[in-house]
Amino acid sequence: MRKYLSIALMFAFVLSSCIKDELPNTECDIVSAWVEGEQYATSFYHPSQMRHDNISTAEKEIVFSVRSLISLPKSLPVNFTITEGATIQPASGSEQDFTKGPVTYVVTSEDGEWKREYKVTFKEATMPTYKFSFENYETIQSSSNYYHEFYEVDQSGTHHNIWASGNLGAILIKTNSKAEEQPTYSTPNGYAGRGVCLNTQSAGPLGEAFHKPIAAGNLFIGRFVPEKVLFEPLKATEFGRPIDRVPIRVTGYYKYTPGPVFTDMEMNKYPNRTDEASIYAVFYRNKDNEGNDVLLYGDDVLSSPFIVKKAEVATLPPTSEWTRFEMFFEGNEADDVILAAQGYSITLVFSSSKDGASFEGAIGSELLIDEVEMTFENTDND
Amino acid sequence: MTRIMKKNIIICLVCSLLLASNAFGADPDSRKKKVEVIARVGYSIGGTAPLGIPATIRSIDAFRPTASIMAGADLKLSLIGSWGIMAGLHYENKAMDAEVTTKGYRMEVVKGDSRIEGLFTGHVKQEVTQKMLTVPVMLTCRLGNRVTWKVGPYISFLLDKDFSGIASDGYLRQGDPTGQRVDMGAKEGEWATYDFSDEMLDRQFGVAMGFDWRLAKHVGIMTDINWGLTGIFDKDFKTVEQTLYPIYATVGLYLCF
Repeated sequence: MRKYLSIALMFAFVLSSCIKDELPNTECDIVSAWVEGEQYATSFYHPSQMRHDNISTAEKEIVFSVRSLISLPKSLPVNFTITEGATIQPASGSEQDFTKGPVTYVVTSEDGEWKREYKVTFKEATMPTYKFSFENYETIQSSSNYYHEFYEVDQSGTHHNIWASGNLGAILIKTNSKAEEQPTYSTPNGYAGRGVCLNTQSAGPLGEAFHKPIAAGNLFIGRFVPEKVLFEPLKATEFGRPIDRVPIRVTGYYKYTPGPVFTDMEMNKYPNRTDEASIYAVFYRNKDNEGNDVLLYGDDVLSSPFIVKKAEVATLPPTSEWTRFEMFFEGNEADDVILAAQGYSITLVFSSSKDGASFEGAIGSELLIDEVEMTFENTDND
Repeated sequence: MTRIMKKNIIICLVCSLLLASNAFGADPDSRKKKVEVIARVGYSIGGTAPLGIPATIRSIDAFRPTASIMAGADLKLSLIGSWGIMAGLHYENKAMDAEVTTKGYRMEVVKGDSRIEGLFTGHVKQEVTQKMLTVPVMLTCRLGNRVTWKVGPYISFLLDKDFSGIASDGYLRQGDPTGQRVDMGAKEGEWATYDFSDEMLDRQFGVAMGFDWRLAKHVGIMTDINWGLTGIFDKDFKTVEQTLYPIYATVGLYLCF
């Protein structure tokens, strides 16, 4: 009898007894970065700007926003937490000069096999420009895929990656794809020079399995956090960046062609619905009453109680010609004290499918955008 | 484990009954017979696993050999002395259900033309089902009156195959450890499912070894170990890093005439 029992137990034993020793970690991420010390606090508008606690694995640049680069100390220590067991060069907490531009840090994994480079930059917290011609983009490689990332250049020539898109989510299910095959890319056929093409795509059978069957093309001022695309996709889009002036109006040019078949999250078809594009801008308070940071996400970007003003283009009729759009901010007055303390943020959002965030839209919808401009109260634009 | 225990208790009970019947039974000697037909039924347990667990698997959280039934018939021919030869046709179900915790385990989730590929750290629930017709060809050797030792190769033809699972409660690094991370949750829509059933081979080869232990004239108990020598996947299929071998043990009853 014992034989049968022992055979039954054998596999469990064999399997559990040969768990090997844990291998050293292969990851090499900067998880958080911060500056500490009273002597440095005056360089920042708010203590929360001295910390980055949720650095995405997609990020290659860590930007600290400061009041002014001229008054920034020539020597300053940035501290990091990195993947367990990994090492960082230059060392965490070592004094570096950030006034001359980015400092490159290299993180090496515990097993020594993998490296990631990060640029740490201190930049003035102002928007680099308010005229967006979308001439500047960079082609980024992620695994075997490529995608475009738009950036703006300030008067000193510094690049600012103020634009984000859902491309990082879309490429998750792709291999060997080109930048022009992504939902958001730079097109040479702009209104003037290059422009942005946003298109709603199928997320393939895998996207369907995840109940995320379409990927709308989008472009917005903010940050995209790819970690969250499956888990809580509406939290993957973080909208806004601080602004020191009060917006009145946004203008620009668009072309729009809706896709043929409108579908929902389960790919049910709605023959009577036509896809719509969306263009809107939101001006909101980026601190709550306790001084904590406020960010708007996909689920509250148009409904958050922190919204002060918003602007929306009521309708964007389909057109194959470049057509001008204009939208005005409506809402409450901004507070000068809050404004001076960088307490307001702005986002500008374009999407080829209005309800793309809830995975409703028509595959094939295409929105082209170019020459977008914001105007402000009490400032000479330009 | 409780399910295994339950099965064992049943097996033990059946064996006890057989032993009891043996006490009143006829002489089990069958040396005079040249040709025998043996009908078998058994229960298999085991796993479809790499030989040596890769270091990327950090713990085995559950291992359930699911109901795996073997039934079949052999024709046994006595040759010279105690030696003989036996061949047959068996229906087998080599199934298992395992849950493991991984760290940086290479995996790929493919559906149609879309795919996620990378290193997964988290929880994996794996199901394997292989229903097959097996043809064993065995050399037999009688060891005394009751026990026959048997060894030989087998070939299996798969009738039904499934290799699928769920990756949850963790994250995937796309491509390599520096790729972007995607978090996976604990419920449908937040986790990744995979299915490599189509990549499984339709044929398996291996060797089997075991004993037939005659209890009464026409009744006996049997044990077999079936050791797969070919992996369950095509050699060109690289997604599952390790070659997985089906290794199963069968205990059962037989009737011979």
